[in-house]
Amino acid sequence: MTADFFIFMLINGLCQGMLLFIIASGLTLVFGVLRVINFAHGSLYMIGAFLAYSLSTFLSGGSLLNFFLLMLVIPPGIALLGFFLEVTLFRRVYREEHLLQLLLTYALVLILDELVRLIWGGDPRSVARPDLLAGSVDIMSMALPSYNLFILFIGPALALGMWLMLYKTRAGNLMRAAVTYPDTLGALGVNVSWVMTSTFMLGCWLAGLGGVLMAELANIDLGIGMEKIIECFAVVVIGGLGSVGGALLGSLIIGVGITFFQLPFGRWALLFPYLVMAVVLILRPWGLFGKPER
Amino acid sequence: MRDRNLDKPTTNNLNWVIGVAVAVALALLPFVLAGFGRTGEYWIWVSTEMIIMGLFAMSLNLILGFGGMVSFGHAAFFGVGAYTVALLMKKGGVPFFLALMAAPVTAAMAAAVIGWFCVRLIGLYFAILTLAFGQLLYMIVFQWYTFTGGDDGIHGIPRPEILGPTGYYLLCLVLFLACLLLMRMIVNSSFGLTIRTIRENMERAKFIGINVRRYQWLNFIIAGAFAGLAGGLLAELNRFAQTEFLHWSKSAEPILASLVGGMYSLLGPAIGSAVLMFLKVFLQQMHQRMVEVWAIILGLILLVVVLFAPGGLVGLYQKMFSKSES
Amino acid sequence: MTRKHLRIMVMLLSIIVMQGLAMTGDSMAQDTIRLGFVADITGVAAQFYKGQKAAIDLFIEEANASGGILGKKLELVVRDAQLKPDVGATMARELVLSEKCDFLIGGTSSAVALAVTKVAQEFKKIVYFHTSNTEALTTTDFQPYMFQVVPNTGIEGRGIAVALSKKPYKQYAFIGPDYAYGHAQFDSFKSDLTKLKPDANIIEEVWVKLGESNYSPYIPTLMAKNPEIVYSNFWGGQLSSFIKQAKPYGLFKKATLTSLFDLDMLRTTGMDMPEGMMGYTRCPFYAIDTPEMNAFVKKFYEKYKEWPSDWACMAYDGMVVLAEAIKKANTIDSDQLVKTIAGLQFKSLRGDRYIRAEDHMANVGLYVGLTGKDSRFPEFLIMKEVEEVPAEKVWLSVEEVKKLQAAGKK
Repeated sequence: MTADFFIFMLINGLCQGMLLFIIASGLTLVFGVLRVINFAHGSLYMIGAFLAYSLSTFLSGGSLLNFFLLMLVIPPGIALLGFFLEVTLFRRVYREEHLLQLLLTYALVLILDELVRLIWGGDPRSVARPDLLAGSVDIMSMALPSYNLFILFIGPALALGMWLMLYKTRAGNLMRAAVTYPDTLGALGVNVSWVMTSTFMLGCWLAGLGGVLMAELANIDLGIGMEKIIECFAVVVIGGLGSVGGALLGSLIIGVGITFFQLPFGRWALLFPYLVMAVVLILRPWGLFGKPER
Repeated sequence: MRDRNLDKPTTNNLNWVIGVAVAVALALLPFVLAGFGRTGEYWIWVSTEMIIMGLFAMSLNLILGFGGMVSFGHAAFFGVGAYTVALLMKKGGVPFFLALMAAPVTAAMAAAVIGWFCVRLIGLYFAILTLAFGQLLYMIVFQWYTFTGGDDGIHGIPRPEILGPTGYYLLCLVLFLACLLLMRMIVNSSFGLTIRTIRENMERAKFIGINVRRYQWLNFIIAGAFAGLAGGLLAELNRFAQTEFLHWSKSAEPILASLVGGMYSLLGPAIGSAVLMFLKVFLQQMHQRMVEVWAIILGLILLVVVLFAPGGLVGLYQKMFSKSES
Repeated sequence: MTRKHLRIMVMLLSIIVMQGLAMTGDSMAQDTIRLGFVADITGVAAQFYKGQKAAIDLFIEEANASGGILGKKLELVVRDAQLKPDVGATMARELVLSEKCDFLIGGTSSAVALAVTKVAQEFKKIVYFHTSNTEALTTTDFQPYMFQVVPNTGIEGRGIAVALSKKPYKQYAFIGPDYAYGHAQFDSFKSDLTKLKPDANIIEEVWVKLGESNYSPYIPTLMAKNPEIVYSNFWGGQLSSFIKQAKPYGLFKKATLTSLFDLDMLRTTGMDMPEGMMGYTRCPFYAIDTPEMNAFVKKFYEKYKEWPSDWACMAYDGMVVLAEAIKKANTIDSDQLVKTIAGLQFKSLRGDRYIRAEDHMANVGLYVGLTGKDSRFPEFLIMKEVEEVPAEKVWLSVEEVKKLQAAGKK
């Protein structure tokens, strides 16, 4: 393997990781604050992707403007859906056993995935990339699609944005406080349930964004929801439930790992995320950046 | 919300009489159905499947209801049992009854390995790890094309001459009842009591010196063994084994069944499983379109149960009719 | 325990009552021929189903308009196997037992087909396969109550190897879906290619998880060793997605692509499809010039305002065989029909064909051509310079088939 090829593969893997990070960060954030693992996170991502497809059929041309329009409109739409779900369903089970929470979100997966199938049918869809990003860039004598590079930049930008929000704004501080001191927060007069709802909405917003971005990257079909949620599980387990930084690290590990493992192991490279997850769970169950809770 | 009443062992003579009566009625069912020709044969087949899946659901409930832990990867052991029977019979020429005995053994071995890793964690992490391992096993079977036939599966498993549709139904019924009695013994034994103690309060159990991990591990293995038996029976019923048997969605069926039927009772999951299966078949017959929205119906049922009746059908029944139970 | 047992008895009673209800709808008229279609309606094969159903509906309409077959009208009952073999087997069983179907029609997935063919054998109902093409159906898993009108994985793999051996390419890379079909077809391809063109080299093999929609990790590996030609047995949506994603990597500037270019896939890929790629397909209506095909295409387009896919044509062909067999044998009894089907000659849309007696395989070959634009079809490319690699050239010989069938029976 030449140095060229290595770097090329590395960049490719990082791109994969970044897209995964965008989605997984939503999942881990929701868990951190609400203590709920939202199985349906993958379904929301899928809905975002399909909505992007539908909306794109109304817009014409491959302009960048249309692309940004999609990114501006759909994630908030998913966040709105999340708001509705949180208020009607999730709120009821915060005090219940984890088991019931898990099953509630699982029930949502069944319903949402099936609704997607009924509305959009079984055919795979895709959205055309904006003209500016449809070409490729030459890196070390190999062509890397521009769109992949775009995602490679969006990822860290988003990570930075989230870091800023979580550590530099009042809303972010409240979210982090809700993770560690939920009761105290309530005692201080903060509307904790509003903090939880808005965190949930943020998580859904991220899922929706991931969906929009994925729709241009590859074909989307009915299986991507479940596929993604399992990948996200691997990410948050490796990185630590509740840690956004951990989600970043976990996503990159998985993205790069699958890309490189493929060389010696071919198709068995798919086992990579599971193996890493298993190892992490055994040696350091709370993840690389998580906090032990017993 | 937990109904402890059902945890108490009952030795009422009347219960036994009713139990035997029901068992006899179930045993006579296929003969009644056989009188209805082709349609009857179809329902015998469906009933056999209901019994097998009922067993599968009950096996999961050992972990779920009695152990208090959620396992999303239980189908893995079901699948291991199925493939054991399939491979032994098709590729090894092993006679059916021997192959069937091997199924719970291999499944127990798989459960021992996977369970050893999983029980070192609790709650959410346990659930995620079981899902991960379940999917891992699924992918291995899927990709190990040369050994397992990949997603083509193993087809054409022979069926011994003496086991026609009615004969096989009776075999499954007998095994189901035997397993039920076995499970009852286990649950009511000191082992079972210890498991339930751990479920109620793990810290306290540790304080009184119980090796929590060990007990949970053993419980996991036992549950896996029963699941393997169910898998083996299904493989022979279908006369094929397929990768879908190990898919995570198959793991969800017994969870749903246990919830719907009542996870704090022994038979609850079997009843839940039968009800769900029956509902599905019935809807299918009534209207083709219903099949398309089956997943939504399932999801809605689950939603309703989770929000309003976590004790399941049996729990509801208890609530509606309980008078003297303290 | 008392109450629980009461519950069980109540349930038991309701089962029996429901059965009674279900069976009141039991009086089926015996003067129809019922066909049970175990289709793969949902999932990645959804597109294929539409064409298949359209063609079968068309045939039934035509047949019924002229009085049916042997005076009986045809009726179609459809069930969804969802690409899952255990569901498919259950549906097949239901179609035979509950819906009283006389014949079964297979779907898209080879895995489902393997399960369904066993059910057909169990109940002695003839099933035909028009899209699912694993060679196992006519060899290791052969049973007499079936016939196959689509070129199987062996014919396909070996057929394209034959066509490629005449070309100068030496450095091959392969990418394909990691499941039974992908392996079976690749194995046939590999063995024949090395035999026919010893200096050809398969320098890279990339296996992708089935249903994978994101090929970015795999494409660079594929291109790394600079192959001249990429052979892929992706199909349908997966192939289309792969082509769209591989294009920006510049794959098609460096290597040519050979794969299954069926009509549905060509339509989905649209103008993203590179020109001049050598591909193969199973039944390209635009390249077959028989009176039967022309008439069929005309009727199909008039009724559905769409061109018939490969699968539609072959599903229709299957019905042609079935109808011909029933008319010739003058009965719908399965055992009689099995005898008639062996060696049956029929007028397929693809020309005169026959069903080989030993494995009930129609002698249908593979069509090879180059992608190109055509003014008749402004929205997608088709294949030009199409040639048929005849089945007789590349299917397994009778001895080989018999050996495999015997091996499968053990």
